Amino acid sequence: MTTDTPVPPGDQPSPADGVAASGGPAATVEPVPMLTPAQEVATVGKNWPKPVNGGAAWARAVPEPPPPPGPNNVAFTGSRWDLAGLMVRGFLLMVPTLGIYRFWQQTARRHFYWQNTVIAGEPLEYTGTAAQLLVGFLLALLLFVPIYIGLFVLSTQPPAIFGIGYGVVLALLWFLGSYATYRGRGFRLSRTLWRGIRFNQKGNAWIYALRSFGWSLLMIVTLGLVFPWMAASLWRYRYRHTWYGDRNFTFEGKGGQLAGPYFLMYAVNIVATGALFGLVGLGGGLAGDGRSLSATIFLLLLLLVPFFLLTFGWFRCVEHTRMLSSVRLGDAALTMRVKFRHLLLQYVLNALSVTGTVLAFGIVILVMVVVVVAANKGVDIADPQAVARLFGNGTISGIALIGIYLTLLATIALLSEIILACGWWILLARGARVSNVESLASVRSTPEDRALVGEGLADALNVGAY
Amino acid sequence: MEFFARYQDGITAEIRDVVCVIDLAALPVALVILDPATRVGIAVWVAGDTYALNARAGELRIGSVSQTPGARLSVQGLDNMRRARSLLPSLRTRQKQDGRRQFGLVGGASAALFLLIFGYIFGVPLLAGQLVHLVPPEWEMRLGETAQAQIESILGEDGYFDDCDSDPSSPGNVAIARFVDAAWEGHNSPFKPDVRVVYSEIPNAYALPGGQAYYFYSLLHESDDPDEFAGVLAHELGHVFHRHGMQTLIATSATGLLVGFVFGDMSGTSVAGAVGSALIDTRFSRDAEQQADQFAGETARRLGYRATALVNLIDRVSGDSAFTQALALLSSHPMNDDRRKLLEAYDIPRSEAKPAFTNAEWRAIKAMCAPPAEDEFN
Repeated sequence: MTTDTPVPPGDQPSPADGVAASGGPAATVEPVPMLTPAQEVATVGKNWPKPVNGGAAWARAVPEPPPPPGPNNVAFTGSRWDLAGLMVRGFLLMVPTLGIYRFWQQTARRHFYWQNTVIAGEPLEYTGTAAQLLVGFLLALLLFVPIYIGLFVLSTQPPAIFGIGYGVVLALLWFLGSYATYRGRGFRLSRTLWRGIRFNQKGNAWIYALRSFGWSLLMIVTLGLVFPWMAASLWRYRYRHTWYGDRNFTFEGKGGQLAGPYFLMYAVNIVATGALFGLVGLGGGLAGDGRSLSATIFLLLLLLVPFFLLTFGWFRCVEHTRMLSSVRLGDAALTMRVKFRHLLLQYVLNALSVTGTVLAFGIVILVMVVVVVAANKGVDIADPQAVARLFGNGTISGIALIGIYLTLLATIALLSEIILACGWWILLARGARVSNVESLASVRSTPEDRALVGEGLADALNVGAY
Repeated sequence: MEFFARYQDGITAEIRDVVCVIDLAALPVALVILDPATRVGIAVWVAGDTYALNARAGELRIGSVSQTPGARLSVQGLDNMRRARSLLPSLRTRQKQDGRRQFGLVGGASAALFLLIFGYIFGVPLLAGQLVHLVPPEWEMRLGETAQAQIESILGEDGYFDDCDSDPSSPGNVAIARFVDAAWEGHNSPFKPDVRVVYSEIPNAYALPGGQAYYFYSLLHESDDPDEFAGVLAHELGHVFHRHGMQTLIATSATGLLVGFVFGDMSGTSVAGAVGSALIDTRFSRDAEQQADQFAGETARRLGYRATALVNLIDRVSGDSAFTQALALLSSHPMNDDRRKLLEAYDIPRSEAKPAFTNAEWRAIKAMCAPPAEDEFN
């Protein structure tokens, strides 16, 4: 029997014979006939025999049914220890690879976030690869070389021209930052699958960057008062150009929804600043001149930074609650509830752990110095010169110093990843509810566009998220 | 043997429970996906085309290279997963293949980067030395003037950074110009060095791109004999001759680019990147200092004064503390002991040496700066 002579479907050997693993006698299939595509299709739609050990076996083994559409049908199943493990592994491998491994670490990180986010029983899937990120980064370099040369030539110009030129370069980078953010979002969406269907982002990154830039100018002119409308406008552009398969997201959010909380935050910060300066001023703290006065002002502003961060964190929760709750996908709708007290907890935890880390590093270094000094009799620990002489071998001390420094940086980055970044993702996942999920079953896929270029620019400009 | 899965075809967002069996009779061997209740076939995958995707713990996700990109079988439960793995050996072989490919990519990219950095560290002093000849001298002179204006606007307040003696025909300036001409003789350079002694309480001297060199009053004040002064002066002339100012500018810009590449942050805002830049740039700078010392040594031997006077002065002003030795990797200058060794090679016996300046010249130079008010330099 050859493939040249089509065989009526009925004549082919029963596929059941080939199910060797089920223990059938025909496990020894010698000359296996080549199936033509038509014949292959014919096996589909045919009734296959149930396994001999009883048909009920499958019913017990089928994985648990999707959770009932309860209040929150989005879950996050990851453990922060797993995330910490892959981050540490990534940092360690970055040393021998001179940082190249960061693209693989980034990809592993995304796998973690995506596959542990389970929407209506089905996890997200991230299909991007590290090589795509690497190629994207190399392409972004091509853009940066001319900018660098431009900066170099600028630095040789008289101060006035240098100042103007530098301003232009900063504005250009700000503009490119929005462009990169949008492109990066598109890259991640187009590599996100849910139920086997791909998300996508259309729209034009240049137009988005122009809009964002225009709004930024308005922000400066209005002293930030226009922010609610800027935010809503950019959210709208992003979501109206977001697709799930052949279905387009819609976005009904309005700037007015953000105006109340934003102006409240704005006013509270102005009042707090005014009150602090007023109090210190009444107490005579603002007397003095020139340098001491500007030092006092700087110190007071520094005191206000945590307060500003807290109020802004609160606003961020409100913004995400209201904006994400305005997202629709056909008949399905997203409802979001991000609670500030959870975010506050993360802020506090992060602040404490970073402080603790810095202290711990300080103590470890101190102990190391004391041990070395104790091992060398005759060195007075109160004499810094003598102590320093002990560490006189330049190369070893230098390498140790850089090692300690990089370890400290990596530890702080790790803490902020597992506390802040992961925390925020969990807040969003657990606060989300997708209503009418069943309506999404009719979404169909669209042809893939497999662009190779990763998020190079976003990476290079340090604007990437997750 | 069979296993249970949730199946999505990658064409619609539907998802359904299925049971999967292997059809050994098919060629190539097929993975047949069936409806669990009716046992009606839903799809046939080529068994050897299947691969495992990265998935959370407790789940095995299977795709196929010959199916639509989103087509998946999601297998859960340990027993179920074990059966799927044993029925589909390609899951393991393709996973190994991918592991090897990723390893090769990481290894190849790291090796390329290693070569780049290696080539850079050893190549850039050479490269910058070559590139600098492409920079038109007039341009470099303009650049020097810009730099001077910037420095003066930062440091020059309350009379600091003014010329000690702005009259070019004063005995002090004439003596310096005579020495510069003598040192410059026989050297082919587009620049005419212009040395100025200026007020500053920092004991230092430096050269700018384009041939301008500055000698700070405070360092002159510390100089005990003419050879010390001449040594530092010749060292700065060495910088001018080698166009180190321009070379440094080129080199640090290139370093910024390279380090940005390693740390992935081209905006230069990461602190780790700054340390990397500092390491490479200071190495480059130490090489430049060494070249300037060589120039100073050769000049000293040619004009017949003692080369090591240079390092005597530096020792006195900024003796290397043990702490700076510990930080030698991050230092922009070579260690004084190393500099002394280098300069000793050029030294001539004390008996044969004659001072770089005559007594009259030296007195005139020392007198260039009016004695400062008591409270100014202490």
